[in-house]
Amino acid sequence: MTARRFRRGRVVGNTVAVVFCLVWLFPVYWMVNTAFKPRSEAMTATPRFWPGAPTLHNFDVALNGTEFWTNLTNSLLVVGVTVVISIVLGMFAAAALSRFRFGGRRTVMVAILVAQMLPGTALLVPTFLVFNEAGLLGTYTGLVLAYLALTLPFSIWVMRGFFLTVPVEVEEAARIDGASTWQVLWRILFPLVLPGVIASSVFAFIAAWNDYLIAYTFMKEQSQYTLPVWLASFTNPAQGTDYSAQMAGSVVFSLPVVVFFLLIQRKLVSGMSAGAVKG
Amino acid sequence: MPGTDQAVGGRREAPAAPPPPSRARASAPPRTGSVRGRGSLVAWALLTPAGLVMLAVTVAPIAFLVYASFTDYDQRSLFTGAFDVVGARQYTDLLADAEFWRSLARTVVFTAAMVAGSVAIGAGVAQLLTRLGPAMRMTVTVVLILAWAMPTVASSLVWKWLFQPGYGVVNWMLTRTGLFGDMTDTDWSNSAPLAYVSIWLLIVWQAVPFIALTLYAALIQMPAELQEAARLDGAGEWRVWWSVTLPFLRPTLTLITLMSVIWDFNVFNQIWLVSAGGPDSATTTLGVFAYRTAFVAFKVGQGAALSVVTTVLLLAVTALYIRRLLRSGEDL
Repeated sequence: MTARRFRRGRVVGNTVAVVFCLVWLFPVYWMVNTAFKPRSEAMTATPRFWPGAPTLHNFDVALNGTEFWTNLTNSLLVVGVTVVISIVLGMFAAAALSRFRFGGRRTVMVAILVAQMLPGTALLVPTFLVFNEAGLLGTYTGLVLAYLALTLPFSIWVMRGFFLTVPVEVEEAARIDGASTWQVLWRILFPLVLPGVIASSVFAFIAAWNDYLIAYTFMKEQSQYTLPVWLASFTNPAQGTDYSAQMAGSVVFSLPVVVFFLLIQRKLVSGMSAGAVKG
Repeated sequence: MPGTDQAVGGRREAPAAPPPPSRARASAPPRTGSVRGRGSLVAWALLTPAGLVMLAVTVAPIAFLVYASFTDYDQRSLFTGAFDVVGARQYTDLLADAEFWRSLARTVVFTAAMVAGSVAIGAGVAQLLTRLGPAMRMTVTVVLILAWAMPTVASSLVWKWLFQPGYGVVNWMLTRTGLFGDMTDTDWSNSAPLAYVSIWLLIVWQAVPFIALTLYAALIQMPAELQEAARLDGAGEWRVWWSVTLPFLRPTLTLITLMSVIWDFNVFNQIWLVSAGGPDSATTTLGVFAYRTAFVAFKVGQGAALSVVTTVLLLAVTALYIRRLLRSGEDL
């Protein structure tokens, strides 16, 4: 390639990249832009591309309106418990699947992958029926159980990947020093896969945090909603949808996920190969 | 798989493990640890807690789903607990229902359109990333991540706002171009084709980042000599892409396409929140149909049969996906 062709390629590439960025960023920008606009500036015949009088009023409306703090607490509680359980159980299972060779291992792996790929409505219908019988509908325990179905297979799969990166020699050295199987797991393996534990926690957090369908179907009281359900139902019936406040709510809800994505972006690409985030 | 080789994190700290040989699955004991000797007892003990939970929250519900699909479980049953086993009736009813076939056709066509759109654009963006300077590449990557990170509920609401009749910025822009006349008050969720277009745009917008970043990760692992050699032999850029780059990317592309099919086939939140399956049932895909049947009309037995059919359809794609995964060197 000649230098000139190369330079022309760069110009074309940069132009396409700029156009792409503008298009792809626009919805995000429009959300943030609207969130900071007073209602009078949001609902105008000619859209305003910059808030003329930026305000935090919309955040005030969203956050101090119906049940935000209650629903945030619900989300944090349910998601937190889900993450802890799927990480602890997932870590044991991942250790088994990566460091041991036993009959049926392959079957278990395939089962985990299939579980990960099951359509949401397939689990939703029977879980609803069973929870109805067991009195778990509208309870946080029910929600945690339903989220474990979502996060556990994936946590196992991802952490297994991390376990595979720990060289066998490390274990062998510990064994020669007389460590037992448990000691090898606790003292050597688990600390070494800590980065994997953190990444898997974040995946599980995102999957459970983002769920709308299950919480929407299982929780009937407004005080029991999680944040996605709160957000989707957040309109002002008297004046029609208050888009400014809704966008402010969207910003608040999306923020933790965006921060996490930026932090673990590389791992996400590979993690998604196992079907990370459903829906 | 090439695309995900710096894979599931952490590989940076292990002394760069050689990429798994692609046929490692045949006899693959190399990576297992020294604890292996302790055999299966410890392994099963470690698996048990997770296994029990998965039995309870995945396996049992699926078994119950199949059972429920042979019953007439309905709203009344939810309170009384009474329902009858009606055999295959839910299935014969379903197959006789024109709306089922329409939903199936919609789902297939819509999935194909979404997958084609997101894979094509994603591949284009991946290629673009290889041609940018570091600063520009960083910018594009951050934009991709922002679009990717938006939770589907948030992005669906943003979509409704973008396409809102009256004050929506998209209608305003389209009106300004003068191509389609005055679109100020066009209600996208009230016209079948327009509802599809807006949902398609939403899904593609959200799907492109993962596809682009994965394919880019695969592209940067491609030895530059391959392309150089082709260029020296006088191949044009297009030819180089077609004959060298594409074959190199094919395994990753196949995997991504299969995953996209599974995801897009199951799209629910976006449709539910943007158009609620309407107008009429124009955007009612199988997932939405199952949800409406089971949770709006409360014909739970029928909804269960629908979910079973959907799952069986998807299992074929899932099987392909798992086979690919096995073949691409994942040591199962």
